[in-house]
Order: sequence, then structure tokens, then C-alpha cells
Amino acid sequence: MHVDEADLGLRRRTYAFFVEHGRAPLAAELGDPDEVLAGWRRLHAEHAVVLNPATDELRMLNPFSVVPTAYRVQAGGRWWYGNCAWDAFGICAALQTDGRVETSCPDCGEPLAVAVRDGRPEDESLLFHCLVPAGHWWDDIVFS
Amino acid sequence: MNLFRSEEHIARWLGGRDPGATISVVKLSELARAWWDDRLSPAWVPHTREQNMAILYRLGLTGDFWELA
Repeated sequence: MHVDEADLGLRRRTYAFFVEHGRAPLAAELGDPDEVLAGWRRLHAEHAVVLNPATDELRMLNPFSVVPTAYRVQAGGRWWYGNCAWDAFGICAALQTDGRVETSCPDCGEPLAVAVRDGRPEDESLLFHCLVPAGHWWDDIVFS
Repeated sequence: MNLFRSEEHIARWLGGRDPGATISVVKLSELARAWWDDRLSPAWVPHTREQNMAILYRLGLTGDFWELA
């Protein structure tokens, strides 16, 4: 299954809706629901969007999370959710703006916050740990 | 894929599990920019495996752990 230009156009409209409204569109908000869902499924198969397999609703528009997560990002005048720490910084990169990442330490629960200026974190002391090897990230992308 | 205050917190969180890879938040921000900065571009097309491996290699993220599927 491969995406074509029409699918990439659907992806562009999906991301544009998300960035404009701060929420994911319903299929019917982008066109014929059956056609939109079929396109999202092809994009999901190519890792260009992530659907909730139980509902066919959008789950991730990487680096953005459609649903609340432990990684909140203030950027471009709005709060967003990242799927993980990597994606949280990715939101500032995708929006090409400064921002602020907020989360808590998975070990002790201590709040962690770091400002991002010109693509660099102001607090350079924090560490990023990736548990799952790269070859297995897409085995279960929500867990990864 | 989480942020931690220190190696000590990572070790305690792992609780005996095998560790993955740890990098600085500075390296993470470089990785995020290289990986995601084109994501809202109208010209975006899916990255190939080779493009993504080139990003990892350029940032020194090499070895079995960083080998994409």
C-alpha cells in the first residue's frame, strides 16, 4: 500500500486543520468520510499519520499527539501535546518557533520544564532515555 | 522516550530492565529539528529509511540500537 499525491494532499489538509484549530478533524470535516478514512488508512500504513485501530480516529499527527499526554508544549501561542520527549521538541521544530516543554520525571514525578530558544534547550542538563531500539519503534509506536 | 533529571533517575526508573540509549537534551533537540522541521511543509513526502538513517548517522547516533527497521 503506497500513498499517492491525493493522499499527501489529504495529509496536508489534515495537518493544516490540526494546526489551525488545535484539534484533529473528523473525517466528515475534510470530505467524503469513507474516502477520507480510506486515505487515512493508507497514510497510517506508511507511518504518515497514526490511527487508533479500535476507532479509526486520528491518534498521532507526529510530532503532535491528538490526545493528552505527559508532554505538554507551549508554542506558537497555543498548548500542544507531544507523543514523547522527542516529539515535544519536534513540535517547536515543526512550527519553527520557540517554545516550552513541560512534563514530569517518570521516576520521581518531579516537574520538568525546559524552554526552547532558536532550537536549543535553555536547560542543557536534562537527559533523554529511549528504551526501545529503533528497529522496533513501529512495532508499537504508542508504547515506543 | 522520556526526559530525566539524571542518570540516577533513569537507573531507578528502569528497575532492572535493560537500558536503551541515553543522550543529552541538547542532542535530542538537534535530532528533533532534523527529524521534524519539514513536517508542516507543503512539499513534505515520507522520509525514506535512508534519509532517516542519514540524520541519525550525522548526529553520531550509530550502532545496533539506532538501526531503523
